[in-house]
Amino acid sequence: MRISCPHCGPRHVEEFEFRSLVPAAGAAAFERVYERVNLPGQSLEYWQHVHGCRAWLVLDRDPSAGEVRTVRLLGAAP
Amino acid sequence: MLQRYSALALARAALGRGDYWRPLWGRPAPEAAYDVVVVGAGGHGLATAYHLARDHGIKRIAVLEKRLVGYGNVGRNTTIVRSNYLLPENHYFYEDSLRRWQTLSRDLNYNVMYSPRGVVDLATSDDEMTAYARRGNAMRLAGIDAELLDRAALARFVPALDLDAPRRFPIIGALLQRRGGTVRHDAVAWGYARAAAALGVHIVEDCEVTGLRTAAGMATGVETSRGYVAANRIVFAVAGHTGAIGTLLGLRLPVETHLLQAMVTEPVKPLLDTVLVYMHPHGEVYLSQSDRGGLVMGGALDGFPSYTREGQWSRLEDVVQSAVALLPQIGALRLLRQWAGTNDQTMDGSPLIDRLGWDNVFLNGGWCYGGFKAIPASGAACARFVATGTAPDLIRAFRLSRFATGHLLDEKGAGPFPARQ
Repeated sequence: MRISCPHCGPRHVEEFEFRSLVPAAGAAAFERVYERVNLPGQSLEYWQHVHGCRAWLVLDRDPSAGEVRTVRLLGAAP
Repeated sequence: MLQRYSALALARAALGRGDYWRPLWGRPAPEAAYDVVVVGAGGHGLATAYHLARDHGIKRIAVLEKRLVGYGNVGRNTTIVRSNYLLPENHYFYEDSLRRWQTLSRDLNYNVMYSPRGVVDLATSDDEMTAYARRGNAMRLAGIDAELLDRAALARFVPALDLDAPRRFPIIGALLQRRGGTVRHDAVAWGYARAAAALGVHIVEDCEVTGLRTAAGMATGVETSRGYVAANRIVFAVAGHTGAIGTLLGLRLPVETHLLQAMVTEPVKPLLDTVLVYMHPHGEVYLSQSDRGGLVMGGALDGFPSYTREGQWSRLEDVVQSAVALLPQIGALRLLRQWAGTNDQTMDGSPLIDRLGWDNVFLNGGWCYGGFKAIPASGAACARFVATGTAPDLIRAFRLSRFATGHLLDEKGAGPFPARQ
């Protein structure tokens, strides 16, 4: 799998580290820590380009197909 | 219906014209209603159905399977069984399972090839030896066998392991559980399916559950790809897809789906007669030699949620590098096959067995790395839970509410990061 980093371009997944799923909007602290929304067709995730520019990214992925749909910098408008 | 296997029957079959062998289980169409419907014909689902029929006399049971018996993790693991856990809730449970493995071939009248060849957890630092001593002592206090091996004892127990070979992380000792070992994984699925079918359980393959029907606060049945099936009680044993089932039912569960890879080399002459587990700061590998001669190995999770059942190449490299660092003499072997399974990874690395949303719906899942070795205990305890309505003491700690009440079973101390559990 490759991830297109907005700073560095397409790089191998090895350079990145998955951090966590993006919690549901408005979730309380307990839900953010312990509960997950698992959709086989869509997954919103925080990743970090740890062996590159070290930017935090928000990925929209399809974990059933193993494909990355969109990548944006954390904090950038979707 | 059940053919009783024995040495005599085998001899008769060998001398016959090949017409002795019958299918191990039938191909019934799903009926309109059952007393218990188990979703998922993996190890846990089949074992639960088997114990419901055998121990609790429940007559109308169906196991509904999306694909085929043993397609999931019961056929994708590295076949290791052990009970060398630190936390009492875990080691009592896994010890119950290990004792059942010891007699399972006789109980099922099917050879599951339990091989108590020992599980050796290798230590690379004094700190790790201290942690292993603590874990071993906790096990011995619970009546479970554990031995701390120093360097000399380890060298005697595993002749294939050259402790003087240059390694980035030298091996200084180990924790050994002699009754741990391996079990032929496919035989477990086939043996439970055969034994359950002989007790009248319907095993329905190619039957995907697509929804749950409820009325007045109770579940009444499941929608499937082959029509609606009514049920008084429903058990979800779909580890790997528990999170997706939660979403289907409108529940948020403390679980994520991650990939775990395994691989096997070409067969070679006997080299290793035990199970080695080598964890070091840069990776891990667990490795054993199958009866066919292949070296079966696995390592860490891929590291991010996935349902693809295709492992990442980078993780395969990690595992193989650790294996070659451990046993340099296998460096020239070729890998024969590589595969991956979908793991339920929970927030504390321990399983989930509890009611799920409704009084008559049960969950058996969240198995993380521990699913295969847990099958016999999980089936017996889950069946008792479903039949009596009360969770046996053995699995009470696996309840879903433990995250809210703070009673986590975090064996690794990794926190709520499923990718690291």
